[in-house]
Amino acid sequence: MNRTVSLGLLLLFLTPVVVAHHSFAMFDSDRVVETEATVVEFQWTNPHVWIEIMVADDTGTANQWSIEGGGKNTLFRSGWRPNMFEPGDVISIRYHPMHDGSHAGGFIGARFPDGSTIGRWDE
Amino acid sequence: MRLIPVICLVLLCTPARPDELPDWSGVWQRMEGNAGMFDVSTTVPPDGRAGSPGVRQHPPLTDEWETKYRANLDLVAKDRLPDPISRCGTPAGFPRMLALPDVYEFIVRPEQTWVITENGPNILRIYTDGRKHPSPPDLWLTFTGDSVGRWNGQVLEFTTVAMIGEVQTVLDRSGLTLSDQAIVATKMYLIGGGLLRAELVIEDPLALTEPWHVTRHFRRMPPGTKAYDYACAENNRNPITGTGQTLTLDTDGHVIDKVIENE
Repeated sequence: MNRTVSLGLLLLFLTPVVVAHHSFAMFDSDRVVETEATVVEFQWTNPHVWIEIMVADDTGTANQWSIEGGGKNTLFRSGWRPNMFEPGDVISIRYHPMHDGSHAGGFIGARFPDGSTIGRWDE
Repeated sequence: MRLIPVICLVLLCTPARPDELPDWSGVWQRMEGNAGMFDVSTTVPPDGRAGSPGVRQHPPLTDEWETKYRANLDLVAKDRLPDPISRCGTPAGFPRMLALPDVYEFIVRPEQTWVITENGPNILRIYTDGRKHPSPPDLWLTFTGDSVGRWNGQVLEFTTVAMIGEVQTVLDRSGLTLSDQAIVATKMYLIGGGLLRAELVIEDPLALTEPWHVTRHFRRMPPGTKAYDYACAENNRNPITGTGQTLTLDTDGHVIDKVIENE
């Protein structure tokens, strides 16, 4: 289930996490959503990587969400790898949601089943 | 009177020897951040990011160009500024290419220096073989313009003209533009500490009331750092509408956004 992080915690995440080739104003940088999700696909691409995930809503229905990250070149140099999100992986993920409630978000950080993290998680 | 061309031939127009040139090898990254604000020194607020509402810089703009800039700032505030590079079709151009994310390479040869940006990509060709800027019809407006210069010791000095200007480029996502009459004089040199400095003096009889001085820096990244292919159109799931709205597509190419502005 989605849950919205408290205001005190979300203040740590207000700075946009990605350097984008386009405006990221469609994402609400004042809100942070943290949820458990199942990875459907990881698109290791430019100008942005995309993490496709399935997330259960409040009724238990699973919906696909698209989480947008930075460009793969800079992400690689900061520790990302093309195989780090495998289909079927169950992860925790944080993102800035779309203003209009659409099923997409701007990536902040993720935690893998072994406890390791990527992006901004422990701040 | 014959002395002048002789001086030019000996001092200015002869390419430097390879062993006289500085080592700019490796991969570099811009120092000034602010999400690509071009002139960080005049950015208000100082930590403001390009593309954020209310963030601007203060070049010595003419009244006409200040009005143009404010119009674009209004579009930024509504998230409707159509940044040309977001369409993945054209280069950022010069001088914006000195303020891009991702990494840079500077390939130095006596007769020419190439500035290659990973993001874009963009290539700036700076000829130092003694040639001058061509004259029309051999000169036309391009995104990176025409750059010629010389080595003055360890300093690369060059001028850039014939940039395409406001029609198809902006200097950053705050929406600042120059005209196609702009001339940029640039000096680039190492300053120690693994840093490369670029000092720009920008003149524009239409857009600026006086020369605009901008300084940018690049940091050499650790040995072994690589630059990679960057194909902006590889998987661009954020098309821009005619009104400047940035959309988001799902994996099948369908628009995810619930609200789509009429064009």
